Amino acid sequence: MGKQAGGAKNWFRLPAVSGRLGGRGSGEIMSEKQMLEGDLQDQVLGEYHSDLGVTHSQVATLPGFVTESGHEFKEIQIAYQTLGKLSPRRDNVILVCHALSGDAHMAGLNPATHRPGWWDFHVGPGKAIDTDRFFVVCSNVLGGCSGSTGPSSLNPETKRPFATDFPPVTIRDMVRAQAALLDHLQLPEIFAVTGGSMGGMQALVWATDYPERVKNCVPIATCTAHHAMQIAFNEIGRQAILTDPNWRDGHYYDNPDGARPAHGLAVARMVGHVTYLSEYSLRAKFGRRLQRAARPEDLFPDFFSVESYLHHQGDSFVRRFDPNSYLYLTKAIDRFDFLAGRETREALDQVRARFLVISFESDWLYPPSQSRDLVKLLKRHNLAVTYLNLPTPYGHDSFLIQNPEFSRALSHFLNQEYDSRAANTAA
Amino acid sequence: MHPALYDQVIEWLPPNARVLDLGAGDGAFLERLVKIQKVRAEGVERDPVLVSRCIERGLVVHQGDIADGLDQYASGAFDHVLLLGTFQELLAPADILREAFRVGREVIVAYTNFAHIRVRLQILFEGRTPITRSLPAPWYRTQNLHFLSVLDFQEFCRDIGVREVSRACFNTRGAVKFLPNLRAEEVVSRLQAGTLQTPSPKPYDAQI
Repeated sequence: MGKQAGGAKNWFRLPAVSGRLGGRGSGEIMSEKQMLEGDLQDQVLGEYHSDLGVTHSQVATLPGFVTESGHEFKEIQIAYQTLGKLSPRRDNVILVCHALSGDAHMAGLNPATHRPGWWDFHVGPGKAIDTDRFFVVCSNVLGGCSGSTGPSSLNPETKRPFATDFPPVTIRDMVRAQAALLDHLQLPEIFAVTGGSMGGMQALVWATDYPERVKNCVPIATCTAHHAMQIAFNEIGRQAILTDPNWRDGHYYDNPDGARPAHGLAVARMVGHVTYLSEYSLRAKFGRRLQRAARPEDLFPDFFSVESYLHHQGDSFVRRFDPNSYLYLTKAIDRFDFLAGRETREALDQVRARFLVISFESDWLYPPSQSRDLVKLLKRHNLAVTYLNLPTPYGHDSFLIQNPEFSRALSHFLNQEYDSRAANTAA
Repeated sequence: MHPALYDQVIEWLPPNARVLDLGAGDGAFLERLVKIQKVRAEGVERDPVLVSRCIERGLVVHQGDIADGLDQYASGAFDHVLLLGTFQELLAPADILREAFRVGREVIVAYTNFAHIRVRLQILFEGRTPITRSLPAPWYRTQNLHFLSVLDFQEFCRDIGVREVSRACFNTRGAVKFLPNLRAEEVVSRLQAGTLQTPSPKPYDAQI
């Protein structure tokens, strides 16, 4: 659908991010590794190369989809990527669910953006999710803007983008759309489903809604329902978009001047991005360092590096994300309530999956206490749950960055489970 | 702990038992239990590095303190709860035992005997906090919060209403039958609830 940001040539490379670490004026150059902290989609990459080389994603057209709200689509498009080889028994499928700002392109160089996929650190040959061993599938969520049907897609009835006529989507809608995709790909069994944040919510819904299909479930840095603080931050982001004069009730796609509520979306991303980091990562990356020498036209003296970094985050996000999708997806996350309206015992008694729940000590957006509540809920229903709370200091983003402890735990769990499964079937 | 002590624990656990190991460490013993005795085992461990080692061994493990770990489980979720070498590190051992008996039918506790002859002699003749094979760390580095003897433990069980079903004592030379309170370095006891009041189910249980 070509909504991805255009050529890599325009890359907005701010000297601050690729520049120095530490106090003001310290001439120390950041190592490549340090530069790579954060979402691979929006970071300055230095010399990073994906082990997978160029990879591609595809779009499947799936007929007849009804949302939880009752909206009937004649067909939906779901963008997806598959990596690795499907085993003859079709028992090595790992489904990766992306978070709010992710897309189907999980790993390998994306030819459209010239950037590696958002989980390239953890998906690839010999990596935590080993593409030499597993057949890995990732799809863009329903309501998204990176190839799957969402508010920016054409409404076949009006021949104009849906905009706010798009029905509200839920996490369960996203999962049902993925399930339709897997049916289309003839993949009945999921060896493991995993994802962080919003992806973790999808993984949980998979385990309860398709108990006979899911063997293992790895929810990462997620929760069973947002609490007020998480909703509050999302609402600030939504208000920034809704009050942008270019938003025009969501029907900005055919603004004559081509204007989009870019500023609102950038501010939303800035707020969001801060919540993904930690006090430690911000201090270590920027401290009180200044971005540049004062200029006469400056409104205030002292333009801090962290301000410049946030502007960069906002700007680069605007190039690849649709403001309406941001509204729809954040609302879907806020409305998610894992077992609401269901008999807890009935829902969980069906579940067959074994769980690995991972949280990060420094994650203040999805604090470990929420993961512990999830673990308790699952364990009290006698499910096999392993819980790991990693002491990494990088906040919510900890699952997106290079993180050896995280990689090790994930790969050991997946490989152990796969080996013991193979041994059991052999015996 | 003495290898023979672990062998004794394995002997006490019937095949297919459901076992919870509190303070599972790197999971070596738990893995052995699963392999030899085919038990359905889970561990609780607070150190994330050790938890990762357990995951590597394919074990189900919960990262958390023992109290927090116990709180995760439904009442009666296990047949046996193991506290091997971690018992002396608990701030409130009686409370933990009560919780352990809510979660499991039988609790197996291993501890170091502070009335062993070498400990007594060191205190008497050297006038220092003893350092022995079973109590290797100096006072400022030990994880132990409590120091107890076989007699102390018996009295403790009687006071809180726990029944000691069997006991095995060990020193470097193996099992100790004669004068255990003087000669045993390490002790393992198999406990049943007796008259101990287990906590009523937490509010969370109401949802289940």
